Amino acid sequence: MLVLLCWGIACIFSAASGRIGSGTEFALRQFGWAVVSCVACFSVISVGYQKFMDMAYPIYGLTLLVLFFMDVAAPTVKGAQRWLSFGVIRIQPSEFAKISLILLLSKFLSRYPPLTLATFLAGWGAGLPVIFLILGQPDLGSALVYVFIMLCVIFVAGAPLKYLCGVLLLGLSALPFAWFFLRDYQKMRLLVFLDPTRDPLGAGYNALQSRIAVGSGSFWGKGFLQGLQSKLRFLPEPHTDFIFGVYAEEFGFWGTTLLLLIFGVIFMRIVAAGMKSRDMRAKVLVSGVAAWIWFQMFENIGMSMGLMPITGITLPFFSYGGSSLLAISVALGLVSSVYISSAKRYR
Amino acid sequence: MPEIRDLLDTRLKTLMYLIFISLAVLFTGLYFFQIVHADRYIRLATNNRLRLIRFSPPRGEIYDRNGVPLAVNETTFSIMGYPLDLDRQGMLLRVSELLSNHGIPMSVDDLAKTIRKQRWAPYRVIRLVPNLTMAQMAELVADPECPAQLFPLPEWRRIYPSGALAANVTGYVGEISENELKNSLPGEYVGGDLVGKGGIERYYEETLRGTAGEEAIEVDARGRKVRTLDLRPSTKGESVSLTLDMGAQKLTMELLSAHKGAVVVMDVRTGAVLVLASSPTYDNNPLAWGVSTKEWREITEDRDRPMLDRSIAGVYPPASTFKAIVALAALEEGVVTPGTTFFCSGALRLPSRAFRCWKRSGHGSVNLISALQYSCDVYFYQVGMKLGIDRLLKWVRKFGLGEPTGIDLPGEAGGNIAGPEWKKRRTKENWYQGDTINYSIGQGFLLLTPLQIARVYAAVANGGRLVTPFLVPSRAQAPVDMGIRQEKLAIVQKGLNYVVSRGTGSRAGRFGISIAGKTGTAQNSHGPDHAVFAGYAPADSPRYVAVAMIEAGEHGSSVASPIVGEVLAYILSHPAEETE
Repeated sequence: MLVLLCWGIACIFSAASGRIGSGTEFALRQFGWAVVSCVACFSVISVGYQKFMDMAYPIYGLTLLVLFFMDVAAPTVKGAQRWLSFGVIRIQPSEFAKISLILLLSKFLSRYPPLTLATFLAGWGAGLPVIFLILGQPDLGSALVYVFIMLCVIFVAGAPLKYLCGVLLLGLSALPFAWFFLRDYQKMRLLVFLDPTRDPLGAGYNALQSRIAVGSGSFWGKGFLQGLQSKLRFLPEPHTDFIFGVYAEEFGFWGTTLLLLIFGVIFMRIVAAGMKSRDMRAKVLVSGVAAWIWFQMFENIGMSMGLMPITGITLPFFSYGGSSLLAISVALGLVSSVYISSAKRYR
Repeated sequence: MPEIRDLLDTRLKTLMYLIFISLAVLFTGLYFFQIVHADRYIRLATNNRLRLIRFSPPRGEIYDRNGVPLAVNETTFSIMGYPLDLDRQGMLLRVSELLSNHGIPMSVDDLAKTIRKQRWAPYRVIRLVPNLTMAQMAELVADPECPAQLFPLPEWRRIYPSGALAANVTGYVGEISENELKNSLPGEYVGGDLVGKGGIERYYEETLRGTAGEEAIEVDARGRKVRTLDLRPSTKGESVSLTLDMGAQKLTMELLSAHKGAVVVMDVRTGAVLVLASSPTYDNNPLAWGVSTKEWREITEDRDRPMLDRSIAGVYPPASTFKAIVALAALEEGVVTPGTTFFCSGALRLPSRAFRCWKRSGHGSVNLISALQYSCDVYFYQVGMKLGIDRLLKWVRKFGLGEPTGIDLPGEAGGNIAGPEWKKRRTKENWYQGDTINYSIGQGFLLLTPLQIARVYAAVANGGRLVTPFLVPSRAQAPVDMGIRQEKLAIVQKGLNYVVSRGTGSRAGRFGISIAGKTGTAQNSHGPDHAVFAGYAPADSPRYVAVAMIEAGEHGSSVASPIVGEVLAYILSHPAEETE
């Protein structure tokens, strides 16, 4: 299982980077989550993706309920209601809702392929409630991930290109209106993305410093634990959002290239699993998982270099945060399960 | 449907290609930043040329109701530097020598400590030496030994022109403590910022504070400014005008100067506080400039506790001033009528023990009004017994006693209304009839702040509406009608009127105004009795209520009542421009 192997390597990386960021406490906790995630991944494989697929509708319903509850009455952390707290452990339901959305769409879209306008719109309609709930939290970054996942999934499920183009155009034309709904800090981030020197102390500062961190990594990097930008607190949130900056500074170009290669291999395996499977639901499923990891990776690395606007989107496997690691592990468990079951059938 | 499955596979492949294209984009980006432009970013990173200066905003001023300044700002100069420069070998020693040459004793350790406290990031400015005069600053900077990395920055220093006269009200500012820093929102404060530590300064910190300005500059290798990258000017905090009347406050503090105690004067209709005096007091000016540990200890460990605001945080037995509440409760509950009389033989004899009246020879036959007028204890013993502690407590709670009044100052005490449950908890003993008897003349376990007593008398004076005391007009709250019948109130008011016109409080009435009120002598187990007087004026159409509590003042009639009389007379003869 090459996918799993790579994933394991990535986990170790993750723990190591956690230590780079903010001390051993974080690293230990993240290691704990990694263990939990491994277990979760293997349990998902042993149960098999088909079982999950059968329960896709109830799972989705439950997700909507939880998210609704969060919107209405959840404690506010850093101004957003994204966390659900169980004693010491806090989880971010929006991470798990991604799996739920992917399951739902795979089931729905394979039964009613989005070939006609009606089914195409129905597919979007099925996913919209969760997006609205996430926006209500409010978590714009995550909502973007959801939209992107839906777009890819519907694309892979065979939607005619003209419909997809239509949606894209609609989205673009809605952008000016969306501007009015953005919070001030979100507007600032976007403006700063367009012009990083606009406010080097405030919003633009992060982007500038992150780029300095990435750039100063050079080819060989400064070496493990030697990153200056993060140590001296030039770089904000070094263990979560800007972990790539830390990594790039310490491991340099060869490290980042290696990382991109590993991600490339992971994507290849995910897509290969889908190609191999005879189950249409599985094909759609893997595309959703791929889109998810893809978008988060691209956005996170992109924003570290100042190529993308800054959002709170984490780098899969790397950023500190148990919920996101666990959710991605479960998703990869589903993909592996697809791989295994199709291998069985052929043998 | 094989054709759909094929379509799906094609689409999956397309997705794959798209992903690889995006990976290639990222790869190119990384190549661009990490290889092509690496030199530039390495340079920017290693000698990070970015410096941040933070301008602390001038605080809003504090004025009294007539615009008399209570807290203002004065320009001083601070010597600033960056950790990035100061961390260099031998730098601190050099700075320390330079400073001591100019008469500023600061050891290397002191400097290191100052830096550690304010350190947030190496490029963010730190205040090394605060509060220099223009001359001191000029002399220091002109010294050829002065390192180019240090520079002066004009800053604001807080001055309290009224000083000790209203220190308990204005409070003072001080450098933010590590705890306060930890509890503040990120980015709200940085080490070295001044925050309100007491009084109005603390309560209205948000309003007075303003927002800090910041300047980002690029410096050369020697740490000198090359150009400004970004500038955000600071905005001054909002000024606050209090309801306090400094003229009356000053007079009160003079009258109080020989005593320990507190005086509160309030507008009976609104709850606006005109005088809030506490003696002994302290000068808040040195505190705002930063006092030495020794001076600080002298103030805080003083046995007279000058920093305790006795007007809102000192708790005393209300003594006979409490009788007004008992009288009202009895009338409202129908326990007595104005015609009800009791005979005072000088003591109330119960099987268990005798409870004496303050007048040994007794008052003879008294009704409610004469009982108030002569402060007959026996009458109120009888009334208290008839009422019972539960009904008494109901009325005590109605007047908001036992909890802070809600004045806009930090550290207000709620007092203690005791009661059977409290006694059981505290002493494991039952509540006896004797406790009720003591309670009905305001002695025993009952403890109130002078402000609470003033609030009670304001309600008596204004027709039964409970006000919420305030110092800043925007905080004013509408009075709460307690539903007391006016004819009952009028009886108590008449009694209080007689107290001054021909009873125990006659000394309050010698200042040319008509006053109604009540004297009190609070038994003090630690020494001489406390004297208290609560009164309002003019007696027929009350405007202001005043309470004087004099520790160890012996009799309310002799010490406390003239203070109330004189202060109320002053206020009525110096009417402020109406702001309502």
